Amino acid sequence: MSTHDDTVSLSLQDICKQFGPVKAVEGVNLDIRQDEFFALLGPSGSGKTTLLRIIAGLEHPTSGRVMVGGHDVTYMPPYHRRIGMVFQNFLLFPHKTVAENIVFPLRMQNIAKAQRGERLSWAIHLLRLEGLEARYPHELSGGQQQRVSLARGLISRPALLLLDEPLANLDRELRAEMEIEIRRYQKELKIPFIYVTHNQEEALTMSDRIAVMRNGIFEQVGHRTEVYQKPATAFVAGFVGQSNQMKGKVDTVNGGLLAFTWKGTKLVVPHAGNAKAGDPLRFMIKHEDVQVEIASTKSTIPANHNHIPGKLRDIIFKGQTVNYLIDLEGGMEIVASGSPRDMKLSVGDLVFAFWPQEAGTSFKL
Amino acid sequence: MKPDSTWRAFITPFVLLTGPGTIFISITLLLPLLTIVMFSFWRTESYELYADWNLDNYRVLFGEAAYRTFLIRSVVSAALTSFICLVLAWPVAYYIARHGGRYRLLLVLLLAAPFFTGVILRIAALQGILGPGGLINMTLGLAGFAPIKLLMYTQFAATIGHIYLYIPFMVTAIYLSLVNFDFALLDTAKINGAGPFRAFAEVTWPLNWIGTSIGTVLVFIPCLASTITPRFLGGPNATSFGMSLSQQFGETGTWALGSAMSVVMFIFSFLVIAVMSLTIDLRRSGFTGVGK
Amino acid sequence: MIDLTDRSERWRRRPMAGLLNLLYVFLYAPILYVIYASFSQDIVWPFPPAFTSQAYADLVSNSLYSDALFNSLIIGLGSGIISTAIATAGVIGILRYPSKRRTLIIVIFLSPLFVAELLIGISSLAFNARILGLPGNMVSAIAANAVEGVAFSFLIILSQLVRYDWQMDEAAMVFGARPARCFWEVTLPTIWPSLLGAFLISFILAFNNLEISFYNLGAIPTLPSVAWGSLRFGLGPELFALAALTNGFVFLIFAVMYVLMRTGLVKFGYRGK
Repeated sequence: MSTHDDTVSLSLQDICKQFGPVKAVEGVNLDIRQDEFFALLGPSGSGKTTLLRIIAGLEHPTSGRVMVGGHDVTYMPPYHRRIGMVFQNFLLFPHKTVAENIVFPLRMQNIAKAQRGERLSWAIHLLRLEGLEARYPHELSGGQQQRVSLARGLISRPALLLLDEPLANLDRELRAEMEIEIRRYQKELKIPFIYVTHNQEEALTMSDRIAVMRNGIFEQVGHRTEVYQKPATAFVAGFVGQSNQMKGKVDTVNGGLLAFTWKGTKLVVPHAGNAKAGDPLRFMIKHEDVQVEIASTKSTIPANHNHIPGKLRDIIFKGQTVNYLIDLEGGMEIVASGSPRDMKLSVGDLVFAFWPQEAGTSFKL
Repeated sequence: MKPDSTWRAFITPFVLLTGPGTIFISITLLLPLLTIVMFSFWRTESYELYADWNLDNYRVLFGEAAYRTFLIRSVVSAALTSFICLVLAWPVAYYIARHGGRYRLLLVLLLAAPFFTGVILRIAALQGILGPGGLINMTLGLAGFAPIKLLMYTQFAATIGHIYLYIPFMVTAIYLSLVNFDFALLDTAKINGAGPFRAFAEVTWPLNWIGTSIGTVLVFIPCLASTITPRFLGGPNATSFGMSLSQQFGETGTWALGSAMSVVMFIFSFLVIAVMSLTIDLRRSGFTGVGK
Repeated sequence: MIDLTDRSERWRRRPMAGLLNLLYVFLYAPILYVIYASFSQDIVWPFPPAFTSQAYADLVSNSLYSDALFNSLIIGLGSGIISTAIATAGVIGILRYPSKRRTLIIVIFLSPLFVAELLIGISSLAFNARILGLPGNMVSAIAANAVEGVAFSFLIILSQLVRYDWQMDEAAMVFGARPARCFWEVTLPTIWPSLLGAFLISFILAFNNLEISFYNLGAIPTLPSVAWGSLRFGLGPELFALAALTNGFVFLIFAVMYVLMRTGLVKFGYRGK
């Protein structure tokens, strides 16, 4: 990586971080482009926050290099990096007003007063904080605090904006609104955003690319639709979206498909890499890929579909969607999700769960 | 480039920040205490210390009845004072923490305020009330009654003085523990069927035991070493271990014996701390640690 | 509070309130008596009242008291500053930088609390006089007083700073503040009340201390040692005047606090209704 690619804003090279015997980050490589909204998605303890702190300079990696704009900043202290950051609990300075909080980064960079005023009004306008300049953080609502925190992160037009679960402390409604808004700022300002979250919906809504992280390594890095539709590992399949999981043994392999038996039920599913007959297999299919039909209308199920008979145990109404919980023979359960508009089933009905043979992903165990 | 060179690895921010205090306390407290331990095995002759190592000082200390009496008197007096302070301070601290409302800090500071006046002035004030020419006995005399002998230069008067001086420590320690105690836990106990006394015994007392035991130690130790109070309130039959000790460094100039007495006093203080800390089970104390 | 309607609760509260009031009487009666007596012509039996301010005039005109006051102020200020600085650094060290030696450091910083003042005084006398060969001096008096001050300051600052969020400093650093600027602009404005509290306590401890100062100073007078002298050789009315003045000053501070709280200007940590 000796030549610098102008479109690459941040480059992580073989980053490892160890805390005593614990490996928090293990050999991460990543390039982030200038105009990109990038999400680091993973459960707590996956190392995503550690990685973010390494990028910010709040931790030093045990080995590896951090490059920002082509310069090695691995051991540069945070205050020289000119990176913006938005924190989970906002971390606004309680003794400073909104305006003082927002211009803090400019004051630290010794920027002239006139220019500070100009940039402040730009940030206030961008984040619609007009009229709140003289307030103190504790006089603001959660959403307003979040906007101030974003304004402070953006005012110096940093090379990079890091966001550490910024919406985790907001209520659901506000969160949905802020998701759209934060994405809009990124697209307008063309500053790369790196967004850490454990919430897959947030990652899918906002980002261009997603890295799914677990135990300090990247399980998959890719475009959001790719991560959602073509999970690279069973972990990604389980973590992104809601899936049914079925474990069994491969019977036969037939081109792009394979046949396998799940607790006595024969299914035909997409081929997994190098699986051979007799290999144990895990098959995962998203709830919305499974459909439900009353048992008496079985004839309407098209060919090349898997279908399993069961009994509708419960219907979970979620507003935009409906989840059907179907009890199968042998104590298993399968979940199908659909639109509430065509809700013609009722609890206790004998039904079929069915899905096309190409749907879902299988993984050799 | 990489900052983990050898000297950096040793001189961490932790060492830089805690180092000055550690060095300061080592030089001004630990070294002097070790000096005293050393001197306790030496010999004094006509105000001079000689380094002949021996155990004579301890032999004198434990052999002569007077020193034993002083020691026992001081230990018993300190224990009694701690106990009385504990009994009096609990309801007071509880009342302030629970029902003091917005003025609770002020209420506690009012109890601690006399502490802002030095020990001597407070003892003088107390003497003005308890002493033979003091308010109580003079009033009794004018009214034609006999004075209360118990208040004049007795161990009892000295104990009143100790309580007067040190009860603010106990109240403050218990109060600081109680303000961080979640009184809603008592409602939980009551809803689950515990009466008020049961709830106190099972919830409030154990969760505030650390604060209580710190208060006890903070009262016990200065009482054990007390010199001024017994001297001015206690009279001739209340000579304390501390008074005798300070005499060795003053009038008599027997530093070696005084050092041995200091060591014994320190051992007794330490024993009390050790016993108190043995009663603390951190996992059952509600203590959740300090920092990250 | 909801308990106001609960009669049995109220009956349990009354004895506690009564005990609190008795304790106030116990603590303040001697002090009030001394203040009263300080204005009397005859301090031994000041009844019927006959007032004079002679004791205060004597107090001011006696240069022994002003020397002693000056020395006590120096010891108080020096010890207060040293204690607060050392304790603040120590608390930040253990709270901000995790270390295996944290427990050891806490024990070291708090250890002076468990050593009687008499022992601190005597041992530093022995160390200074016999090991270092120094005569009694102000520096060693300030240092020996600061030992106790460090422990009290450490306790006070620690109890407040455990609630401080150090991520605030990380945020400041990310936005370009160097460590010193970060402390000055972000940490200090938030934590100064506990530093002030620690300074006041260690100042007052050292200002009033008899035993530690006495053994470290020899013949140099301080207010407590002058008071000690006059207590031994019979009470002077000046001593009563001095006690009255000290108490007057302390109560002035409390009165100001009360007014501030009454008018709601300052809450002093209370966050309830």
